[in-house]
Amino acid sequence: MIVKMSKLEIIGPRELLLDVLAVIREQGVLHPEPEAHVFLAPEQRAVVHELMPDKNSAEEQLFLESMYSLTSEILELLPRVETRESRLDPSPILDTLAACAEKHLEQCRNWTEQRENMLREREEHERYALLLGTMGEMIGGHEGVEGLDFIGITLRDPSFVDRLRDLLAQLTEGEFTLTSALAPDGTLIGLIATSPAHSSHIKQILSDEQLPELPFPPALADLPLPERIRRVQHSIAAATQKIRDINSELESFARRWSPIYRRIDQWLEERLALLSAATVVQETDMCFVILGWARTDSLAPLAHVMTEHFDGSVVLEELQIKEQDLEQVPVVLRNPPYFRPFELFSRLLPLPRYASWDPTPFIGVFFPLFFGMMTGDAGYGLVLLAAALLVLYRKPAGMLADAARILLISSCFAILFGILFGEFFGEAGGRLLHLKTYLPERSHAVIPMLIFSIALGISHVVLGLVIGLISALRRHKQRKAAANIVTIGLIICLAALLTSLIHPSSWLHRRPVLVLAGLLIPLLILSGGLLAPLEFIKQIGNIVSYTRIMAIGLSSVLLANAANNLAGLTGDVILGTLAAIVLHTVAIILGTFAPTIHALRLHYVEFLSKFVEHGGKRFAPLHK
Amino acid sequence: MEKVLISFAAALAIGLTAIATAWAQSRIGAAGAGTIAERPEMTGTVIILLAIPETMVILGFVVATMILYM
Repeated sequence: MIVKMSKLEIIGPRELLLDVLAVIREQGVLHPEPEAHVFLAPEQRAVVHELMPDKNSAEEQLFLESMYSLTSEILELLPRVETRESRLDPSPILDTLAACAEKHLEQCRNWTEQRENMLREREEHERYALLLGTMGEMIGGHEGVEGLDFIGITLRDPSFVDRLRDLLAQLTEGEFTLTSALAPDGTLIGLIATSPAHSSHIKQILSDEQLPELPFPPALADLPLPERIRRVQHSIAAATQKIRDINSELESFARRWSPIYRRIDQWLEERLALLSAATVVQETDMCFVILGWARTDSLAPLAHVMTEHFDGSVVLEELQIKEQDLEQVPVVLRNPPYFRPFELFSRLLPLPRYASWDPTPFIGVFFPLFFGMMTGDAGYGLVLLAAALLVLYRKPAGMLADAARILLISSCFAILFGILFGEFFGEAGGRLLHLKTYLPERSHAVIPMLIFSIALGISHVVLGLVIGLISALRRHKQRKAAANIVTIGLIICLAALLTSLIHPSSWLHRRPVLVLAGLLIPLLILSGGLLAPLEFIKQIGNIVSYTRIMAIGLSSVLLANAANNLAGLTGDVILGTLAAIVLHTVAIILGTFAPTIHALRLHYVEFLSKFVEHGGKRFAPLHK
Repeated sequence: MEKVLISFAAALAIGLTAIATAWAQSRIGAAGAGTIAERPEMTGTVIILLAIPETMVILGFVVATMILYM
C-alpha cells in the first residue's frame, strides 16, 4: 500500500534555521521539496526565494570542509584501536583544533612514509636473503669457487622457466645452472650460475627479454658469502625493529588522539550535512520557509517536538495537496507482513506514482496462485516447502529471507493444486497414493485447461481494467474511464461469443452479442481515439498470453511423467530410485524457475500495465 | 496422410514461432545483459522486454493445440 503523505510548510526566524534543521534531521521524517517554487503562488514568488548563503556561512562551510578532509586523513592513517568515546564539544575550540590537526597530520604522514620505506627495504633484503641462501646451497662448502658468476632475476610467470632454460643452454652450451624459488611475497625468483665469459651476454639477453635483474647491493659485493648472508639478516632484523617501533608510536598516538578526532569527524560530518540541507530551504527577508513532505502519521509527533524545542517561534502547517502537486509527492510503500516479502518483486519495477497503486498486494494475491497452478504437484510442493523452511530456519536477512517466504507461500499453493490435480511426483505418484482428482488430468485434458487459462486471463485482465477505471475516475479522467468501460464491455462480448462457440446453449444468442460489439467499437474509437482498436487487439493478445499457465503446467506434468517412466525402464529398484531422484530434481528446478518467471511476466506486462503508473519519487527524509 | 499433414502443420505452427521468439530474445537478452551491468535498477524493465516476444510462441502453441485437438 502507498502510505498517505502530508504536505508541510515550516516557517520560522532565519536565525533559528540551523537549529530547526538539526531537529528535523533528528526526527528523520521530513522529505524537503527541492522544487519548492512550484508550490508557491505567483504573488508569493516575489517575496519568497531560494536561501542564499551569506559570506560568513560560505566561509564557515569552506573551513569545515578543509578541516573534515584533515581529520578524515588522520583517521585513515591511524591504526584501529579500542579506545574510550570522547564527549568533547569541538565548536568553541575549532581554530586550535585545526592548527593541531595540521601538525598531527604531518607527523602521521611522516610515520607512515617511514614505515612504507622500511617495509620496502625489508622486502628487498628478504629477496637477497633468498638468493644468497640458494647460492649457499649450490656452492655448498666450496666458498669462493673461482670462475663462477651469479645472476639473480625476477620471473613473471612460472612457465617462463623452461623457455629461459632453453635460451641459456643455447647461449652457454650447457655451462650454467638455473634454480628458481618462491619469495615470501609470492614472486618467483631465479638464480643463474654460469662462467664469467657468458655472464655479460646473458645479462644483455635478460634485459632484451625484459626480465629485471636483482642486483646485489654494492656494499655486499666484495664480501664472502657467509658475511653477506649475516649482513642481510642483520638488515632485515633492523628494518623489522624499526617497523615495530613506528607501529608502536602510531598505536600510542592513536590511543591518545583517535577518540578526539573521531568525535571531531562526526561533529564536522553532522554540521556539513546541516549546511548542505539548508540549500533546499526558501527565505524571505526575515524568515526561512521549509516546504516538504512527511508521512501523515508522523505529523503530530513532529509538531509536538517543534513546539517543545522552539516554544511557538516556529510554525508547522499542513497544506492541502492539490491536483498539480500529485506528481511531486514522494512515495513510501508499507504492506502487511503477509505481503511484505512480495515487495522483492515490486522493487524490480520503477516506483509507482503517489496517485497510482502499489503493485505488491496484487502480486501477493495472484503470484502464488499462478505459481501453484503451473507447478500443480503435491510432491514438488512439499520439496519446495521443505527447502523454504530450511532456508528460513537459518534466519537469513534481506532478499534471501523475502525469497524464502515467497517460496513458502507459493509451495503451499503448489501442494493445494497438486491435490486438486491428483499429482504427486507426476500422475503415477497420485495414482499410487489413491489421490482423488478434483480437476481434469492436465496431461490429457489439454483443451479444458486451455479454456480455463483463457477464462482466467479474461478475469485477470478485466480486473486490471476495472482498477484502471477506478484510478481514472479518481483523477477525473473521464475519457480514459469511458475507454476502459467500453474495452471491458467488448472483452465480455468476446468471452460470450467464445462461450457460445465452445458450448452452444439455448439462452446465449450470438446475434445480440455481435450487435452489441458492433455498437461498442465506434464508442471505443470515440473515447480512446483512433488507436483504441489497436489497443483492444493488444488486450486480446494479453488474454491469450495467459495460456502459458496451461502450457507450463502441461510441460511440468509431462516432465514428471517422463521422469517416472525413465526410472521404471531401468528395471532395478536402486538404479530406478537414483534415476527418479536425479530426473525429479531437474524437473523441480525447472518447475521453480519457469513458473516464477512466467507468473511475474503475466503481472508486469499483462496485469499491472492496466493501472499502475510508474515514475514515483522515493521518500528520502533528512536524517542523521 | 491427413494425420501426417495435421502433425506437420502443428509442428510448423510451434516451430516457426519458437525460432522467431528465440531470435528476438537473443537480441533483447544481449542488450539487456549490457543494460543491467551498467544500470541494475533497470532489471524489471529488462525482464519485461525479454518476456514480450514469448507471446509469439504462446500463440503458436495455442494454434498448434487447436490444429491437433479441435
